[in-house]
Amino acid sequence: MNEMVITREQREARLEGMGCKRKRVEDVRFTQGRGNYVDDIKMPNMVHGDFVRSQYAHAKIVKIDASKAKALPGVIAVLTAEDLKPLGLHWMPTLAGDVQAVLADGKVCFQNQEIAFVVAENRYITDDAIQLIEVEYEELPVVVDPFQSMAPDAPVLRPDLDGKMTGAHGPRKHHNHIFEWTIGDQSATDLAFETADVTVKEMLSYHRTHPSPLETCQCLASFDKIKGELTVYGTFQAPHVIRTVASLLSKIPEHKIHVIAPDIGGGFGNKVGAYAGYICSIVATIVTGVPVKWVEDRMENLSTTSFARDYHMTTEIAATKDGKVTGLRVHVLADHGAFDACADPSKWPAGFMNIVTGSYDFPTAHLAVDGVYTNKAPGGVAYRCSFRVTEAAYCIERGMDILAQKLGMDPADLRLKNFIRREQFPYQSALGWEYDSGDYHTAMNKAMEAISYRALRAEQKAKQEAFRRGETREIMGIGVSFFTEIVGAGPSKNCDILGVAMFDSAEIRIHPTGSIIARMGSKSQGQGHETTWAQIIATELGIPADDIMIEEGNTDTAPYGLGTYGSRSTPVAGAAIAMAARKIKNKAQMIAAHLLEVSEYDLEWDIDGFRVKGNPERSKTMKEIAWASYNSPPPGLEPGLEAVNYYDPPNMTYPFGAYFCVMDIDVDTGVAKIRRFYALDDCGTRINPMIIEGQVHGGLTEAFAIAMGQEIKYDELGNVVGASFMDFFIPTAVETPHWETDHTVTPSPHHPIGAKGVGESPNVGGVPAFSNAVNDAFGFLGSTHIQMPHDAWRVWEAAKKLGVHA
Amino acid sequence: MQMNASQPIAAPRSVVWAGLNDPDVLRACIPGCESLELTSPTEMTAKVKLKVGPVSASFSGKVTLSDLDPPNSYKISGEGSGGIAGFAKGGAEVRLEEDGPDATILHYSVDAQIGGKLAQLGSRLIDSTAKRLAGEFFEKFAAELAPAPEAIAETADPATEAEADTAKPASKGWFKGLFGGKAEVVAPLILMAGLGFMLTHACCLGGASASAMDPLAMAICSSHSAG
Repeated sequence: MNEMVITREQREARLEGMGCKRKRVEDVRFTQGRGNYVDDIKMPNMVHGDFVRSQYAHAKIVKIDASKAKALPGVIAVLTAEDLKPLGLHWMPTLAGDVQAVLADGKVCFQNQEIAFVVAENRYITDDAIQLIEVEYEELPVVVDPFQSMAPDAPVLRPDLDGKMTGAHGPRKHHNHIFEWTIGDQSATDLAFETADVTVKEMLSYHRTHPSPLETCQCLASFDKIKGELTVYGTFQAPHVIRTVASLLSKIPEHKIHVIAPDIGGGFGNKVGAYAGYICSIVATIVTGVPVKWVEDRMENLSTTSFARDYHMTTEIAATKDGKVTGLRVHVLADHGAFDACADPSKWPAGFMNIVTGSYDFPTAHLAVDGVYTNKAPGGVAYRCSFRVTEAAYCIERGMDILAQKLGMDPADLRLKNFIRREQFPYQSALGWEYDSGDYHTAMNKAMEAISYRALRAEQKAKQEAFRRGETREIMGIGVSFFTEIVGAGPSKNCDILGVAMFDSAEIRIHPTGSIIARMGSKSQGQGHETTWAQIIATELGIPADDIMIEEGNTDTAPYGLGTYGSRSTPVAGAAIAMAARKIKNKAQMIAAHLLEVSEYDLEWDIDGFRVKGNPERSKTMKEIAWASYNSPPPGLEPGLEAVNYYDPPNMTYPFGAYFCVMDIDVDTGVAKIRRFYALDDCGTRINPMIIEGQVHGGLTEAFAIAMGQEIKYDELGNVVGASFMDFFIPTAVETPHWETDHTVTPSPHHPIGAKGVGESPNVGGVPAFSNAVNDAFGFLGSTHIQMPHDAWRVWEAAKKLGVHA
Repeated sequence: MQMNASQPIAAPRSVVWAGLNDPDVLRACIPGCESLELTSPTEMTAKVKLKVGPVSASFSGKVTLSDLDPPNSYKISGEGSGGIAGFAKGGAEVRLEEDGPDATILHYSVDAQIGGKLAQLGSRLIDSTAKRLAGEFFEKFAAELAPAPEAIAETADPATEAEADTAKPASKGWFKGLFGGKAEVVAPLILMAGLGFMLTHACCLGGASASAMDPLAMAICSSHSAG
């Protein structure tokens, strides 16, 4: 009876499919403290491991005396490089083709580097034992400034590479050089500069920062000697890759390694790589025969596991005098720290930095990146962005503002003049990408109207005059940022990690009663996959999202996938889900045809089932089809209703957006107040607008932190100073501005559902918006560029330098 | 870390000089000082127990004196190591200026480098803690020396001298130094001062207020969920 009165709209709403502001299902457990994180997992006889770390940034290790620690009751083992050597595990390969010391092999290259791994009955005893281990050092000269790294007399930081003048990415120019990566047409670009009306040049530093997830990196390893099986629970953004790496390093067959990533409390790129803690825990459980847990503390997380950025970008733009860009030339000095442990696809040592032409139609461009070693922690991960895309966006968006200033043009007008036009898509960029889709003018105009851009400029002008007259000590900045991302790594033709192509996967199984379990190769760290993946399936298969269980992170049950980072989940795994669902739908159509005694071709899809064309009264819902698929399939058809898809994307996706920041700065205190922040995102098809909004809020808050103060800083001795939340800026509700969000929709033409990914856009577009606002505020006083981060002290210093404190 | 400051002390310059060279006085004045040994006339070693929030360690230090110009000035240099807590190295210049017959101004300028875990705590903590420790050192040091003029005046009377000694037994060392006035006695005492500066200023440990440290301890330990 009730079924009769349900309208089509109600049937559709009941699915809570794509486009629905479905509440996050995972939050039911998270908000009640029922998440299950690595540190919540306890195993019988479990013991704890922790590291003795280097006090020095660069030193020889003369002696390690662990005798007192070993004598301490409760201490089970102390591992050093000497113990790992026979196993060949004292060094490990990095994702970037370098090697990294698991435990210092006679020398430390950065402060807090791992020297020894102490295993004891509990965490208290490991801490006590660490204090009893005496390490004798012989100090060596320290290099913390990448600009000094390749000086002829710079100390040799990596004697293990001595004489190796070819690295994983070609020739090395100097003993502290890692690679040079170039792309683009150099001679055409040089010519563009020689013949340009106007050129600008500025060194834009994107300082070192850290993803700093609230949950640090951790793992629990347990080796079963009888079965020869290894189980590792860990904070892994890419659990399958960890399983493969663990198998290659340990020689344990991959099917006997069970890698499980339970709930993860934020990743942001920090949890992509393989760390010494994982290797040591695995070795320790094999040696001791009991489960070993390793949990980083806050300082360890900030100072040793993967940092982000540290790119120093000398940026040049050539243009005509009326503001048409004619060439882009960028040289990057990339500080990779003591070991090259960047988490980039193998063929991309500088990530996708060649998206640096941004949203603009540059006829020619050239990019060169030199990676160098310094006595700083290794890493270089994509902190809430695709590989080096946030660096690229900062580079071009600051560069465009600097050009606008030189031309005396409005920065928004300069952008409008140079945007790739809608009809140019698919667009071949000068640095080798094929942008799949875009409509930049529409987005920019909508954003400018929404914030009353012209009125803000008029207000700014009046304020500048008032400042000059001495009537106010406040200056106003309007930050413009129009970013284009490249996400969804990636096509197997050019993307792999350690030789594994960067596909992703989904497996969907419909039970006889019409509910679903689906498993993916992706792994949520807070993105809300349990909610959104179910929505894709709900729309594709007509089963309510509430009847769909999403499972990720268990490598025994999930299909092989490359994990979640670089906004790749929706573009790659999201596509795999849709494709797997469509396989099921095809079979369902055959079953429905059999049940309705018509040809498949006489059927059409209608929200939650198939109906006969021209006779909508005759229909079968997906739930009915599911039951029949097991119990009365058409003769000759295999029973059951499930499918797996491994999706190799044909191209990346290219989300974009227009961000505006309005800021007022007190020149006497350096305090910047964010008056307004407006973010328009175009991520193609929108799966869950509420989750998108949450992602944008989170990403903007991180962008605000990075631009306005968050930094991993080193002093001249190589001490990492301020690697705690006392100094490392994490905005709370107190500091965080109000965010206004908006959108346009330009679906990706090659993605099955037209989605592009959004989680990282706000970090990519947000940082230049803040930095451009600060720089825009000071521009009328003669400043061309002020380096980030823009904390009050540095802003005050910039004001002082400009002579406004006189 | 750099620190330049002056400290008025209500004692004649020769008394201050002697005080700076008396192991007993320094042992009493250096916050957390556990031991202090002279290893040569211009070198000494000391052990100081310190705690900064979650960082707690026993620091061993070695100090060397140079450019001795009694009772005017000297230079000290040295290093202290606290195992996993970190290390400090650097130097200080100390100069005593007469401020009338019964008062002295002690000028000091410290230039120290701090490494390891301590340095990671952030410079704002280091600088403020160093100043606080310097304050503690001088408070005790001034207390040690303040009765000196009175005691000197009364040394003529053996009974009073004994009384003064009972009241202030720690002062005895520098009385000897003061009246002995021999270079080989003075020099080691200067070392003590060096250690005082190195370990109080440079290492700047101990004495940091518990309230200031609590957020830090929380920040550092937040990921160690107890379970």
